[in-house]
Amino acid sequence: MTGPLLTYTFDWTVVVKSLPFLERGLTLTVKLIVFSILFSLVLGLVVALVRMAPGPLGVIGFAYIQVFRALSLYVYILFIYFGVAAVLHVDLDPFTAGVLTLTLLNSAYMAEIYRAAIQAVDPGQREAARSIGLGSVGTFVSVVFPQAWRIALPSLVNQFTDIIKDSSVVALIGAGDLMYQTVERNSFYQRPFELFTAVAVIYLVMVVIVAQVANRLEKRLQRHLA
Amino acid sequence: MILLDVQYTLDWSVVTDRWRQFAEGAWVDIWVAVLGFGLACVLGLANAILRTSGVNLFSIPSFLYVQLMRGVPLYVMILWVYFGIANVLGVNFTSFQAMVIALALTGSGYTTEIFRAGLAAIDRGQMEAARSIGLNRVRTYRHVILPQAFRIVVPPLGNTFIGLLKGATLMSVIAVPDMVFLANELNVTLFTPFEVFAAVGVILVVLVLFFSALVYVLERRLRIAT
Repeated sequence: MTGPLLTYTFDWTVVVKSLPFLERGLTLTVKLIVFSILFSLVLGLVVALVRMAPGPLGVIGFAYIQVFRALSLYVYILFIYFGVAAVLHVDLDPFTAGVLTLTLLNSAYMAEIYRAAIQAVDPGQREAARSIGLGSVGTFVSVVFPQAWRIALPSLVNQFTDIIKDSSVVALIGAGDLMYQTVERNSFYQRPFELFTAVAVIYLVMVVIVAQVANRLEKRLQRHLA
Repeated sequence: MILLDVQYTLDWSVVTDRWRQFAEGAWVDIWVAVLGFGLACVLGLANAILRTSGVNLFSIPSFLYVQLMRGVPLYVMILWVYFGIANVLGVNFTSFQAMVIALALTGSGYTTEIFRAGLAAIDRGQMEAARSIGLNRVRTYRHVILPQAFRIVVPPLGNTFIGLLKGATLMSVIAVPDMVFLANELNVTLFTPFEVFAAVGVILVVLVLFFSALVYVLERRLRIAT
């Protein structure tokens, strides 16, 4: 199976032959990523607000962020998919478990991004809004959040790249995603170098595109500051 | 699932009876993370010096290297090194070696950027002054630039180490016997998913919080010293 460098003959046709499988996997991976992004954007904001609340609520938010930022996706997904599912007697499918864990973990990171952005909004804005008679909800919704959102967006989009990369781990519970299909094709063709290089390129392209979007957004949204 | 009508009763003795094995498994995670991190620092520093050399022949490949290492998911990297590279080069890595290499490669993408920023933060005058009193380039780096850059890079390097420690928990996918490997085995033989994966999760959170605290203390001490 192995031989010195010069005797190894590359066979990239296995990648071409695997394309239909990779395509099916990629479709699922994109779905996994999009759902996780949407849910964690919302949950992250909620966690940020809980974290910033006074009293015990704030402590809970703080603990949530510390715990979920300390866990690795693999450990957490095993815990949810096998452990929690067995105790609660629920039959989780790998896709749902993947979206759930990606959402919970990333919401903790996003909460910190939201929090930093909300704190970066000039306190004078809040005071001015309150003094012209807006309630605390009205102040947040129509004055603070729209400004915080602009500050947070580039970092949030950067966080998406972690979701893309982490999504590959969901293959380990048999989700049928891009990485799962690649591992399957590899056990069929026994061509690890070609297949894993191909899948690395696909993930890389997704990450680079999203990172570029974050870059552009940062320049655009902060144009008024320059 | 067949297990749906089986009552799940928690039995923590599965974990408490084997606390030594869990501790040994956790030690493997730490050790692999330390080795991977050490290598990542060496690679990152060398790469950062190339990147800041101002010579396109060096700095462009170095830039692409960073994009590549940061854009490929760790799981893909592990399989790529362990199966792909080993196959092409005709070498047989042990799974332990492959894991250290994969972590070092992924980590070096991050450490390069950290060292680059650290070196860039040192005033140009320092280099000019050192050169003008007769130190050569190597000595200037050794005695003037690196000691100052060290202060700046310690906190982000600490965070990179924590990221690699979390990544290290993936090593059971190529059968390095760490704590997750142990938990997977116990789950298969005894069917106690909740206890074993909860234990692993708790150990990981404790380790990460411990190292975060360490980084925080280091950061403060270095700041006071300036």
